[in-house]
Amino acid sequence: MRAARHIYSLYGLRFVSDLPLPELGAELDTEGVDDDAATVVVEQGAVPANGAGIGPQIGPFSHAARDMLWLHVPGVARYLVRDGRRITYAREPGIDDDSLRVFLLGTCIGTLLQQRGQLVLHGNAFAMGDGCALCVGPSGAGKSTLAARMMQRGHRVIADDVCPIDDRLRAVPGMARMKLWRDSADRLAIDTAPLRRIRPDLDKYDLAMGGAFQAEPLPVRAIYLLSPWNRKAFEVRALAGTAKFQALRANSYRFRFIKGMGRAADHMRQCTALAAHVPMIELHRPRDGFAIDELIDTLSEDFARRTAPA
Amino acid sequence: MSGRLFWLASYPKSGNTWFRAFLRNLDGEGADPASINDLGSTSLAAARSWIDDLIGFDTADLASHEIASVRPAVYRFASDHARGFVCRKIHDACTRVANGEWIISAAATAGALYLVRNPLDVAISYAHHASITLDEAIAALADPDYCIAAGKGGQLKPQVEQRLLSWSGHVTSWVDNPDIAVHVLRYEDMQRVGAPAFAAAATFLRRDATPAAIARALAHSSFDKLKAQEDRETFRERAQRSARFFRKGKIGDWQTTLSGAQIDRIVEAHGTVMQRFNYCDAAGTPIA
Repeated sequence: MRAARHIYSLYGLRFVSDLPLPELGAELDTEGVDDDAATVVVEQGAVPANGAGIGPQIGPFSHAARDMLWLHVPGVARYLVRDGRRITYAREPGIDDDSLRVFLLGTCIGTLLQQRGQLVLHGNAFAMGDGCALCVGPSGAGKSTLAARMMQRGHRVIADDVCPIDDRLRAVPGMARMKLWRDSADRLAIDTAPLRRIRPDLDKYDLAMGGAFQAEPLPVRAIYLLSPWNRKAFEVRALAGTAKFQALRANSYRFRFIKGMGRAADHMRQCTALAAHVPMIELHRPRDGFAIDELIDTLSEDFARRTAPA
Repeated sequence: MSGRLFWLASYPKSGNTWFRAFLRNLDGEGADPASINDLGSTSLAAARSWIDDLIGFDTADLASHEIASVRPAVYRFASDHARGFVCRKIHDACTRVANGEWIISAAATAGALYLVRNPLDVAISYAHHASITLDEAIAALADPDYCIAAGKGGQLKPQVEQRLLSWSGHVTSWVDNPDIAVHVLRYEDMQRVGAPAFAAAATFLRRDATPAAIARALAHSSFDKLKAQEDRETFRERAQRSARFFRKGKIGDWQTTLSGAQIDRIVEAHGTVMQRFNYCDAAGTPIA
Protein backbone atom coordinates (compact mmCIF):
# COMPACT_ATOMS: atom_id res chain seq x y z
CA MET A 1 0.00 0.00 0.00
CA ARG A 2 1.30 3.46 -0.83
CA ALA A 3 1.64 5.97 1.96
CA ALA A 4 -0.82 8.84 1.88
CA ARG A 5 0.41 11.77 -0.19
CA HIS A 6 -0.14 15.41 0.62
CA ILE A 7 0.75 17.87 -2.08
CA TYR A 8 1.48 21.57 -1.65
CA SER A 9 2.88 24.39 -3.72
CA LEU A 10 5.50 26.67 -2.19
CA TYR A 11 8.54 28.67 -3.37
CA GLY A 12 7.57 27.68 -6.92
CA LEU A 13 8.08 24.05 -5.96
CA ARG A 14 5.73 21.14 -5.45
CA PHE A 15 6.07 19.43 -2.08
CA VAL A 16 4.90 15.81 -2.00
CA SER A 17 4.77 14.69 1.63
CA ASP A 18 3.69 11.60 3.55
CA LEU A 19 3.06 13.92 6.50
CA PRO A 20 0.31 16.56 6.41
CA LEU A 21 1.99 19.99 6.32
CA PRO A 22 -0.94 22.34 6.99
CA GLU A 23 1.44 25.33 7.29
CA LEU A 24 2.02 25.07 3.54
CA GLY A 25 -1.59 25.93 2.77
CA ALA A 26 -4.31 24.07 0.90
CA GLU A 27 -3.50 20.64 -0.46
CA LEU A 28 -3.37 20.24 -4.22
CA ASP A 29 -4.92 17.52 -6.28
CA THR A 30 -2.82 14.37 -6.20
CA GLU A 31 -3.56 13.37 -9.77
CA GLY A 32 -0.99 13.67 -12.49
CA VAL A 33 1.98 14.63 -10.35
CA ASP A 34 5.31 14.17 -12.08
CA ASP A 35 8.51 13.56 -10.25
CA ASP A 36 10.26 16.42 -12.01
CA ALA A 37 12.97 18.85 -10.97
CA ALA A 38 10.44 21.11 -9.27
CA THR A 39 9.21 18.31 -7.00
CA VAL A 40 10.40 17.95 -3.42
CA VAL A 41 9.67 14.71 -1.59
CA VAL A 42 9.18 14.76 2.17
CA GLU A 43 9.02 11.31 3.69
CA GLN A 44 9.73 9.20 6.71
CA GLY A 45 12.64 6.87 6.11
CA ALA A 46 15.99 5.59 7.25
CA VAL A 47 18.36 8.33 8.42
CA PRO A 48 21.63 7.00 9.84
CA ALA A 49 21.88 7.28 13.63
CA ASN A 50 25.30 8.83 13.15
CA GLY A 51 26.03 11.36 10.44
CA ALA A 52 29.70 10.44 10.03
CA GLY A 53 28.91 8.37 6.92
CA ILE A 54 27.34 11.43 5.27
CA GLY A 55 30.28 13.76 5.55
CA PRO A 56 32.39 15.84 7.94
CA GLN A 57 30.85 17.08 11.16
CA ILE A 58 30.04 20.79 10.83
CA GLY A 59 28.24 21.37 14.13
CA PRO A 60 27.42 19.44 17.30
CA PHE A 61 24.33 17.99 15.61
CA SER A 62 25.12 18.18 11.92
CA HIS A 63 27.19 16.62 9.16
CA ALA A 64 27.35 17.82 5.58
CA ALA A 65 28.61 17.01 2.13
CA ARG A 66 27.97 18.65 -1.25
CA ASP A 67 24.22 19.45 -1.28
CA MET A 68 23.62 17.06 1.58
CA LEU A 69 22.82 17.79 5.21
CA TRP A 70 22.36 15.40 8.13
CA LEU A 71 20.75 17.10 11.13
CA HIS A 72 19.84 15.77 14.54
CA VAL A 73 17.40 17.68 16.74
CA PRO A 74 17.79 15.75 20.01
CA GLY A 75 14.53 14.33 21.28
CA VAL A 76 12.72 15.26 18.06
CA ALA A 77 14.12 13.67 14.91
CA ARG A 78 17.02 13.11 12.56
CA TYR A 79 16.66 14.72 9.15
CA LEU A 80 18.47 14.18 5.87
CA VAL A 81 18.13 16.96 3.30
CA ARG A 82 19.67 16.26 -0.10
CA ASP A 83 20.05 17.57 -3.62
CA GLY A 84 17.38 20.19 -3.13
CA ARG A 85 14.90 17.40 -3.85
CA ARG A 86 14.31 15.30 -0.78
CA ILE A 87 13.82 15.61 2.97
CA THR A 88 13.84 12.32 4.88
CA TYR A 89 12.98 12.25 8.56
CA ALA A 90 13.33 9.63 11.27
CA ARG A 91 11.38 10.38 14.43
CA GLU A 92 12.73 9.96 17.92
CA PRO A 93 10.46 7.88 20.15
CA GLY A 94 7.19 9.52 21.13
CA ILE A 95 7.69 12.83 19.34
CA ASP A 96 4.58 14.70 18.21
CA ASP A 97 3.96 15.83 14.62
CA ASP A 98 3.99 19.53 15.52
CA SER A 99 7.53 19.33 16.91
CA LEU A 100 8.63 17.25 13.94
CA ARG A 101 7.28 19.92 11.54
CA VAL A 102 8.81 22.96 13.28
CA PHE A 103 12.34 21.91 12.34
CA LEU A 104 11.31 20.40 9.02
CA LEU A 105 9.65 23.64 7.88
CA GLY A 106 12.43 25.82 9.32
CA THR A 107 15.99 24.58 9.04
CA CYS A 108 15.28 21.73 6.60
CA ILE A 109 13.37 23.74 4.00
CA GLY A 110 15.77 26.68 4.34
CA THR A 111 18.66 24.29 3.69
CA LEU A 112 16.84 22.65 0.80
CA LEU A 113 16.42 26.04 -0.90
CA GLN A 114 20.14 26.68 -0.47
CA GLN A 115 20.84 23.34 -2.11
CA ARG A 116 18.77 24.64 -5.02
CA GLY A 117 21.10 27.60 -5.27
CA GLN A 118 18.90 30.20 -3.63
CA LEU A 119 20.19 32.95 -1.38
CA VAL A 120 18.21 32.61 1.86
CA LEU A 121 18.24 35.32 4.50
CA HIS A 122 17.20 35.00 8.11
CA GLY A 123 14.48 37.57 8.30
CA ASN A 124 11.18 38.73 6.97
CA ALA A 125 9.91 40.85 4.12
CA PHE A 126 7.04 43.34 3.82
CA ALA A 127 5.48 44.96 0.78
CA MET A 128 6.42 48.65 0.75
CA GLY A 129 6.37 51.23 -1.99
CA ASP A 130 6.79 49.51 -5.35
CA GLY A 131 8.75 46.65 -3.81
CA CYS A 132 9.56 45.35 -0.39
CA ALA A 133 11.66 45.98 2.69
CA LEU A 134 13.58 43.16 4.33
CA CYS A 135 14.25 42.97 8.05
CA VAL A 136 17.04 40.75 9.26
CA GLY A 137 18.64 40.24 12.63
CA PRO A 138 19.41 37.66 15.28
CA SER A 139 16.76 35.70 17.18
CA GLY A 140 15.41 38.01 19.83
CA ALA A 141 15.81 41.17 17.76
CA GLY A 142 12.02 41.36 17.47
CA LYS A 143 11.46 40.27 13.88
CA SER A 144 8.29 38.26 14.42
CA THR A 145 6.64 40.91 16.57
CA LEU A 146 7.51 43.44 13.89
CA ALA A 147 5.98 41.25 11.19
CA ALA A 148 2.78 40.77 13.18
CA ARG A 149 2.46 44.51 13.80
CA MET A 150 3.21 45.32 10.16
CA MET A 151 0.33 43.06 9.25
CA GLN A 152 -1.96 44.85 11.70
CA ARG A 153 -0.96 48.15 10.13
CA GLY A 154 -2.05 46.95 6.72
CA HIS A 155 1.24 45.88 5.14
CA ARG A 156 1.38 42.64 3.24
CA VAL A 157 3.96 40.16 4.49
CA ILE A 158 5.98 38.11 1.99
CA ALA A 159 7.96 35.89 4.31
CA ASP A 160 8.72 35.38 7.98
CA ASP A 161 11.99 33.91 9.27
CA VAL A 162 13.10 32.07 6.10
CA CYS A 163 13.37 34.62 3.32
CA PRO A 164 14.69 33.47 -0.06
CA ILE A 165 15.93 36.01 -2.61
CA ASP A 166 15.81 35.03 -6.28
CA ASP A 167 18.38 35.94 -8.91
CA ARG A 168 16.34 38.99 -9.92
CA LEU A 169 16.83 40.23 -6.33
CA ARG A 170 13.21 39.67 -5.42
CA ALA A 171 11.95 38.34 -2.10
CA VAL A 172 10.13 35.08 -2.71
CA PRO A 173 6.90 34.40 -0.79
CA GLY A 174 7.11 31.66 1.81
CA MET A 175 4.58 30.16 4.17
CA ALA A 176 1.53 32.32 4.83
CA ARG A 177 2.06 32.18 8.58
CA MET A 178 4.29 33.30 11.37
CA LYS A 179 5.33 32.11 14.80
CA LEU A 180 4.45 34.43 17.64
CA TRP A 181 5.24 34.26 21.37
CA ARG A 182 2.28 34.74 23.68
CA ASP A 183 3.95 37.77 25.19
CA SER A 184 4.10 39.49 21.79
CA ALA A 185 0.55 38.41 20.95
CA ASP A 186 -0.70 39.87 24.23
CA ARG A 187 1.00 43.18 23.57
CA LEU A 188 -0.53 43.31 20.11
CA ALA A 189 -3.97 42.32 21.47
CA ILE A 190 -3.96 39.14 19.39
CA ASP A 191 -6.07 36.49 21.08
CA THR A 192 -4.06 33.26 21.32
CA ALA A 193 -7.04 31.18 22.52
CA PRO A 194 -8.05 30.06 19.00
CA LEU A 195 -4.41 29.64 17.86
CA ARG A 196 -2.44 26.42 17.83
CA ARG A 197 0.81 26.17 19.77
CA ILE A 198 3.72 25.45 17.42
CA ARG A 199 4.88 22.77 19.87
CA PRO A 200 2.95 21.36 22.84
CA ASP A 201 5.38 22.71 25.47
CA LEU A 202 6.04 26.15 24.00
CA ASP A 203 4.07 29.31 24.63
CA LYS A 204 4.48 30.19 20.99
CA TYR A 205 1.66 30.21 18.46
CA ASP A 206 1.03 29.67 14.79
CA LEU A 207 -0.58 32.77 13.29
CA ALA A 208 -2.02 32.63 9.78
CA MET A 209 -1.38 35.72 7.63
CA GLY A 210 -4.66 35.31 5.82
CA GLY A 211 -5.38 38.21 3.48
CA ALA A 212 -2.18 39.97 4.57
CA PHE A 213 -0.03 37.42 2.74
CA GLN A 214 1.78 38.76 -0.31
CA ALA A 215 1.79 35.79 -2.68
CA GLU A 216 3.90 37.26 -5.52
CA PRO A 217 7.65 38.02 -5.33
CA LEU A 218 8.61 41.67 -4.92
CA PRO A 219 11.91 43.42 -5.64
CA VAL A 220 13.97 44.16 -2.54
CA ARG A 221 14.32 47.96 -2.16
CA ALA A 222 16.07 48.11 1.21
CA ILE A 223 17.40 45.76 3.89
CA TYR A 224 17.17 46.71 7.55
CA LEU A 225 19.36 45.13 10.21
CA LEU A 226 17.41 45.12 13.45
CA SER A 227 19.89 45.95 16.19
CA PRO A 228 18.49 46.29 19.70
CA TRP A 229 20.72 48.39 21.90
CA ASN A 230 20.64 49.65 25.47
CA ARG A 231 19.93 53.29 24.65
CA LYS A 232 16.54 54.89 24.60
CA ALA A 233 16.70 56.34 21.10
CA PHE A 234 16.01 54.98 17.61
CA GLU A 235 18.72 55.49 15.04
CA VAL A 236 19.27 54.57 11.41
CA ARG A 237 22.72 54.27 9.86
CA ALA A 238 23.38 53.24 6.29
CA LEU A 239 26.09 50.62 5.77
CA ALA A 240 28.68 50.89 3.04
CA GLY A 241 31.34 48.78 1.40
CA THR A 242 32.33 45.47 2.91
CA ALA A 243 30.14 46.07 5.96
CA LYS A 244 27.15 45.36 3.70
CA PHE A 245 28.58 42.07 2.56
CA GLN A 246 29.50 41.06 6.09
CA ALA A 247 26.02 41.87 7.33
CA LEU A 248 24.47 39.74 4.58
CA ARG A 249 26.71 36.86 5.46
CA ALA A 250 25.96 37.22 9.18
CA ASN A 251 22.23 37.23 8.45
CA SER A 252 22.24 34.45 5.92
CA TYR A 253 20.19 31.48 6.95
CA ARG A 254 22.53 28.89 8.55
CA PHE A 255 25.77 30.04 6.97
CA ARG A 256 27.50 27.11 8.67
CA PHE A 257 25.46 24.75 6.48
CA ILE A 258 26.10 26.75 3.31
CA LYS A 259 29.84 26.36 3.89
CA GLY A 260 29.51 22.70 4.84
CA MET A 261 27.54 21.96 1.68
CA GLY A 262 30.22 23.48 -0.53
CA ARG A 263 28.21 26.51 -1.58
CA ALA A 264 30.19 29.31 0.03
CA ALA A 265 31.53 30.65 -3.28
CA ASP A 266 28.06 30.84 -4.88
CA HIS A 267 26.75 32.42 -1.72
CA MET A 268 29.48 35.06 -1.79
CA ARG A 269 28.59 35.97 -5.36
CA GLN A 270 24.91 36.27 -4.45
CA CYS A 271 25.61 38.46 -1.42
CA THR A 272 27.91 40.67 -3.46
CA ALA A 273 25.22 41.18 -6.11
CA LEU A 274 22.57 42.01 -3.54
CA ALA A 275 24.89 44.35 -1.62
CA ALA A 276 25.73 46.19 -4.83
CA HIS A 277 22.10 46.94 -5.67
CA VAL A 278 20.24 47.38 -2.41
CA PRO A 279 20.77 49.90 0.39
CA MET A 280 21.37 48.32 3.79
CA ILE A 281 20.55 50.17 6.96
CA GLU A 282 21.33 49.41 10.57
CA LEU A 283 18.16 50.15 12.53
CA HIS A 284 18.82 50.53 16.25
CA ARG A 285 15.98 50.32 18.70
CA PRO A 286 15.87 50.30 22.52
CA ARG A 287 16.20 46.74 23.82
CA ASP A 288 13.80 47.33 26.68
CA GLY A 289 10.23 48.46 26.26
CA PHE A 290 7.90 47.79 23.39
CA ALA A 291 7.99 50.81 21.11
CA ILE A 292 6.86 48.77 18.11
CA ASP A 293 5.00 51.61 16.36
CA GLU A 294 7.96 53.95 16.69
CA LEU A 295 10.10 51.21 15.19
CA ILE A 296 7.77 50.87 12.22
CA ASP A 297 7.49 54.65 11.80
CA THR A 298 11.27 54.98 11.82
CA LEU A 299 11.60 52.20 9.27
CA SER A 300 8.80 53.51 7.03
CA GLU A 301 10.10 57.08 6.99
CA ASP A 302 13.60 55.92 6.20
CA PHE A 303 12.30 53.63 3.46
CA ALA A 304 10.22 56.42 1.88
CA ARG A 305 13.20 58.79 1.91
CA ARG A 306 15.55 56.28 0.35
CA THR A 307 13.21 55.09 -2.35
CA ALA A 308 11.75 58.49 -3.28
CA PRO A 309 12.33 59.36 -6.95
CA ALA A 310 15.24 61.76 -7.31
CA MET B 1 40.43 16.85 31.42
CA SER B 2 41.39 17.20 27.80
CA GLY B 3 39.06 20.05 26.89
CA ARG B 4 40.16 23.46 25.68
CA LEU B 5 37.56 25.68 27.27
CA PHE B 6 38.37 27.66 30.37
CA TRP B 7 35.29 28.99 32.09
CA LEU B 8 35.30 32.41 33.72
CA ALA B 9 32.53 31.46 36.10
CA SER B 10 30.76 33.68 38.58
CA TYR B 11 27.48 34.80 40.04
CA PRO B 12 26.60 38.09 38.28
CA LYS B 13 28.32 41.23 39.60
CA SER B 14 31.33 39.46 41.04
CA GLY B 15 34.16 40.89 38.96
CA ASN B 16 33.81 38.76 35.83
CA THR B 17 33.76 41.67 33.38
CA TRP B 18 36.64 43.32 35.16
CA PHE B 19 38.64 40.11 34.82
CA ARG B 20 37.71 39.83 31.13
CA ALA B 21 38.92 43.38 30.58
CA PHE B 22 42.19 42.38 32.25
CA LEU B 23 42.53 39.32 30.01
CA ARG B 24 41.69 41.31 26.90
CA ASN B 25 44.39 43.84 27.75
CA LEU B 26 46.80 41.02 28.51
CA ASP B 27 46.33 39.82 24.91
CA GLY B 28 46.53 43.29 23.43
CA GLU B 29 49.75 45.00 22.55
CA GLY B 30 48.41 48.52 22.21
CA ALA B 31 49.46 51.50 24.24
CA ASP B 32 45.82 52.29 25.00
CA PRO B 33 43.29 50.19 26.89
CA ALA B 34 41.04 47.91 24.84
CA SER B 35 37.46 49.11 24.50
CA ILE B 36 34.97 47.76 27.01
CA ASN B 37 32.82 46.99 23.97
CA ASP B 38 35.55 44.79 22.54
CA LEU B 39 36.18 42.20 25.22
CA GLY B 40 36.86 39.68 22.50
CA SER B 41 36.07 36.00 22.45
CA THR B 42 35.39 35.71 26.17
CA SER B 43 31.71 36.42 25.58
CA LEU B 44 28.92 34.58 27.33
CA ALA B 45 28.53 30.78 27.14
CA ALA B 46 24.76 31.31 27.05
CA ALA B 47 24.79 33.68 24.02
CA ARG B 48 21.79 32.63 21.96
CA SER B 49 23.18 33.59 18.56
CA TRP B 50 26.36 31.60 19.16
CA ILE B 51 24.43 28.50 20.27
CA ASP B 52 21.94 28.84 17.38
CA ASP B 53 24.74 29.13 14.85
CA LEU B 54 26.40 25.97 16.13
CA ILE B 55 23.33 23.78 16.53
CA GLY B 56 21.75 24.86 13.23
CA PHE B 57 18.22 25.23 14.57
CA ASP B 58 16.64 27.88 16.74
CA THR B 59 16.81 27.71 20.52
CA ALA B 60 13.69 29.89 20.21
CA ASP B 61 11.89 26.70 19.13
CA LEU B 62 13.11 24.68 22.11
CA ALA B 63 11.80 24.35 25.67
CA SER B 64 14.15 25.42 28.50
CA HIS B 65 15.09 21.85 29.42
CA GLU B 66 15.84 21.08 25.76
CA ILE B 67 18.13 24.10 25.49
CA ALA B 68 19.99 23.02 28.64
CA SER B 69 20.38 19.50 27.28
CA VAL B 70 22.00 20.58 23.98
CA ARG B 71 24.55 22.80 25.70
CA PRO B 72 27.15 20.17 26.69
CA ALA B 73 27.40 19.06 23.04
CA VAL B 74 27.74 22.69 21.93
CA TYR B 75 30.71 23.18 24.24
CA ARG B 76 32.28 19.85 23.26
CA PHE B 77 32.12 20.89 19.62
CA ALA B 78 33.54 24.33 20.44
CA SER B 79 36.35 22.70 22.42
CA ASP B 80 37.13 20.19 19.67
CA HIS B 81 37.41 23.01 17.13
CA ALA B 82 39.25 25.53 19.29
CA ARG B 83 42.74 26.59 18.35
CA GLY B 84 44.51 26.63 21.67
CA PHE B 85 42.75 27.41 24.91
CA VAL B 86 39.65 29.58 24.89
CA CYS B 87 38.05 31.46 27.79
CA ARG B 88 34.30 31.96 28.00
CA LYS B 89 32.29 33.80 30.58
CA ILE B 90 29.50 31.86 32.28
CA HIS B 91 26.92 32.79 34.91
CA ASP B 92 25.14 29.44 35.05
CA ALA B 93 25.63 27.31 38.12
CA CYS B 94 27.48 24.12 37.24
CA THR B 95 24.53 21.72 37.20
CA ARG B 96 23.84 18.44 35.47
CA VAL B 97 21.45 18.27 32.51
CA ALA B 98 18.88 15.50 31.88
CA ASN B 99 21.37 12.85 30.71
CA GLY B 100 23.60 13.41 33.74
CA GLU B 101 26.30 15.43 31.97
CA TRP B 102 27.57 18.68 33.45
CA ILE B 103 26.03 21.56 31.52
CA ILE B 104 29.54 22.73 30.57
CA SER B 105 30.65 19.18 29.62
CA ALA B 106 33.63 18.02 31.66
CA ALA B 107 35.18 16.71 28.42
CA ALA B 108 35.09 20.22 26.91
CA THR B 109 36.59 21.82 29.99
CA ALA B 110 40.21 22.68 30.68
CA GLY B 111 39.29 24.30 33.98
CA ALA B 112 37.17 26.93 35.65
CA LEU B 113 38.33 30.20 37.15
CA TYR B 114 35.69 30.89 39.77
CA LEU B 115 35.28 34.53 40.77
CA VAL B 116 33.62 34.93 44.14
CA ARG B 117 32.56 38.12 45.94
CA ASN B 118 31.05 38.85 49.32
CA PRO B 119 27.28 38.25 48.90
CA LEU B 120 26.61 41.28 51.09
CA ASP B 121 28.13 43.42 48.32
CA VAL B 122 26.79 41.25 45.47
CA ALA B 123 23.24 41.87 46.69
CA ILE B 124 23.67 45.64 46.40
CA SER B 125 25.40 45.53 43.03
CA TYR B 126 22.85 43.06 41.66
CA ALA B 127 19.94 45.19 42.83
CA HIS B 128 21.33 48.11 40.79
CA HIS B 129 22.12 45.90 37.80
CA ALA B 130 18.68 44.28 37.64
CA SER B 131 16.77 47.40 38.72
CA ILE B 132 15.21 45.63 41.69
CA THR B 133 15.06 46.51 45.38
CA LEU B 134 17.67 45.35 47.87
CA ASP B 135 15.11 43.02 49.44
CA GLU B 136 14.30 41.52 46.06
CA ALA B 137 18.00 41.04 45.35
CA ILE B 138 18.49 39.36 48.73
CA ALA B 139 15.55 37.06 47.96
CA ALA B 140 17.05 36.28 44.53
CA LEU B 141 20.39 35.31 46.12
CA ALA B 142 18.51 32.99 48.49
CA ASP B 143 16.28 31.42 45.81
CA PRO B 144 17.46 27.84 45.03
CA ASP B 145 15.65 27.97 41.66
CA TYR B 146 16.80 31.40 40.53
CA CYS B 147 17.19 31.80 36.76
CA ILE B 148 18.20 34.73 34.58
CA ALA B 149 17.06 35.45 31.01
CA ALA B 150 14.09 33.14 31.57
CA GLY B 151 11.94 33.48 28.46
CA LYS B 152 8.55 32.66 29.87
CA GLY B 153 5.86 33.53 27.33
CA GLY B 154 8.29 35.23 25.02
CA GLN B 155 10.34 38.45 25.09
CA LEU B 156 13.19 36.47 23.69
CA LYS B 157 16.47 37.48 25.30
CA PRO B 158 19.85 37.55 23.55
CA GLN B 159 20.90 34.92 26.08
CA VAL B 160 19.28 31.58 26.74
CA GLU B 161 17.94 30.85 30.20
CA GLN B 162 20.61 30.38 32.84
CA ARG B 163 20.04 28.54 36.09
CA LEU B 164 21.93 30.20 38.93
CA LEU B 165 20.56 28.35 41.99
CA SER B 166 21.04 30.33 45.21
CA TRP B 167 24.26 32.28 45.70
CA SER B 168 25.60 29.52 47.99
CA GLY B 169 24.41 26.84 45.58
CA HIS B 170 26.17 28.66 42.75
CA VAL B 171 29.48 28.83 44.60
CA THR B 172 29.50 25.20 45.73
CA SER B 173 28.30 23.92 42.33
CA TRP B 174 31.60 25.17 40.92
CA VAL B 175 34.17 25.05 43.69
CA ASP B 176 33.14 21.58 44.92
CA ASN B 177 32.68 20.09 41.46
CA PRO B 178 34.33 16.65 41.49
CA ASP B 179 35.11 16.54 37.76
CA ILE B 180 36.69 19.86 36.87
CA ALA B 181 39.75 21.79 38.03
CA VAL B 182 38.78 25.04 39.72
CA HIS B 183 40.87 28.06 40.71
CA VAL B 184 39.11 30.52 43.02
CA LEU B 185 39.71 34.25 42.73
CA ARG B 186 38.10 36.50 45.32
CA TYR B 187 36.90 39.87 44.08
CA GLU B 188 38.32 41.36 47.25
CA ASP B 189 41.75 39.93 46.37
CA MET B 190 41.53 41.39 42.87
CA GLN B 191 41.30 44.77 44.59
CA ARG B 192 43.47 44.34 47.65
CA VAL B 193 46.11 41.86 46.49
CA GLY B 194 46.15 43.02 42.88
CA ALA B 195 48.90 41.80 40.55
CA PRO B 196 49.85 38.53 42.32
CA ALA B 197 46.18 37.45 42.44
CA PHE B 198 45.74 38.22 38.73
CA ALA B 199 49.05 36.56 37.87
CA ALA B 200 48.03 33.34 39.64
CA ALA B 201 44.74 33.34 37.74
CA ALA B 202 46.54 33.95 34.43
CA THR B 203 48.87 31.04 35.18
CA PHE B 204 45.87 28.79 35.88
CA LEU B 205 44.47 29.83 32.48
CA ARG B 206 47.85 28.87 30.96
CA ARG B 207 48.66 32.38 29.86
CA ASP B 208 52.34 33.12 29.83
CA ALA B 209 52.65 36.65 31.07
CA THR B 210 55.58 38.62 32.39
CA PRO B 211 55.09 40.73 35.52
CA ALA B 212 55.37 43.78 33.25
CA ALA B 213 52.58 42.51 31.00
CA ILE B 214 50.39 41.81 34.04
CA ALA B 215 51.04 45.30 35.38
CA ARG B 216 50.26 46.89 32.04
CA ALA B 217 47.02 44.89 31.61
CA LEU B 218 45.98 45.77 35.16
CA ALA B 219 46.61 49.46 34.62
CA HIS B 220 44.51 49.35 31.45
CA SER B 221 41.65 47.58 33.18
CA SER B 222 41.59 49.45 36.49
CA PHE B 223 38.10 50.10 37.78
CA ASP B 224 38.55 53.83 37.25
CA LYS B 225 39.61 53.33 33.64
CA LEU B 226 36.62 51.07 32.96
CA LYS B 227 34.31 53.54 34.63
CA ALA B 228 35.78 56.44 32.67
CA GLN B 229 35.26 54.50 29.44
CA GLU B 230 31.64 53.94 30.36
CA ASP B 231 31.28 57.69 30.93
CA ARG B 232 32.37 58.23 27.33
CA GLU B 233 30.58 55.38 25.55
CA THR B 234 27.59 53.18 26.24
CA PHE B 235 28.63 49.73 27.46
CA ARG B 236 26.64 47.21 25.46
CA GLU B 237 26.53 44.69 28.32
CA ARG B 238 24.80 47.15 30.64
CA ALA B 239 21.19 46.30 31.48
CA GLN B 240 19.15 49.05 29.86
CA ARG B 241 17.19 50.03 32.93
CA SER B 242 20.25 50.35 35.13
CA ALA B 243 22.09 53.65 35.02
CA ARG B 244 25.55 52.16 34.63
CA PHE B 245 27.43 48.87 34.68
CA PHE B 246 30.62 49.97 36.41
CA ARG B 247 29.13 51.65 39.43
CA LYS B 248 31.18 51.68 42.62
CA GLY B 249 33.27 48.52 42.52
CA LYS B 250 33.58 48.95 46.23
CA ILE B 251 34.39 46.47 48.97
CA GLY B 252 32.23 46.73 52.06
CA ASP B 253 29.50 48.91 50.58
CA TRP B 254 27.09 46.78 52.63
CA GLN B 255 28.29 48.42 55.83
CA THR B 256 26.59 51.68 54.93
CA THR B 257 23.89 50.44 52.54
CA LEU B 258 22.26 47.37 54.12
CA SER B 259 20.10 47.37 57.24
CA GLY B 260 20.95 45.06 60.14
CA ALA B 261 17.97 42.87 59.24
CA GLN B 262 19.11 42.61 55.62
CA ILE B 263 22.62 41.62 56.69
CA ASP B 264 21.18 39.02 59.05
CA ARG B 265 19.07 37.49 56.27
CA ILE B 266 22.06 37.14 53.95
CA VAL B 267 24.28 35.64 56.66
CA GLU B 268 21.50 33.27 57.71
CA ALA B 269 21.10 32.03 54.13
CA HIS B 270 24.78 31.90 53.18
CA GLY B 271 26.80 31.83 56.43
CA THR B 272 28.33 28.44 55.79
CA VAL B 273 29.73 29.37 52.40
CA MET B 274 30.60 32.92 53.51
CA GLN B 275 32.75 31.48 56.25
CA ARG B 276 34.66 29.35 53.74
CA PHE B 277 35.69 32.47 51.83
CA ASN B 278 36.34 34.56 54.88
CA TYR B 279 33.28 36.80 54.49
CA CYS B 280 32.10 36.00 58.00
CA ASP B 281 33.52 34.32 61.09
CA ALA B 282 32.34 31.14 62.79
CA ALA B 283 29.89 33.17 64.88
CA GLY B 284 28.31 34.56 61.71
CA THR B 285 29.71 38.05 62.15
CA PRO B 286 30.45 39.64 58.76
CA ILE B 287 34.06 40.49 58.08
CA ALA B 288 34.62 43.86 56.45
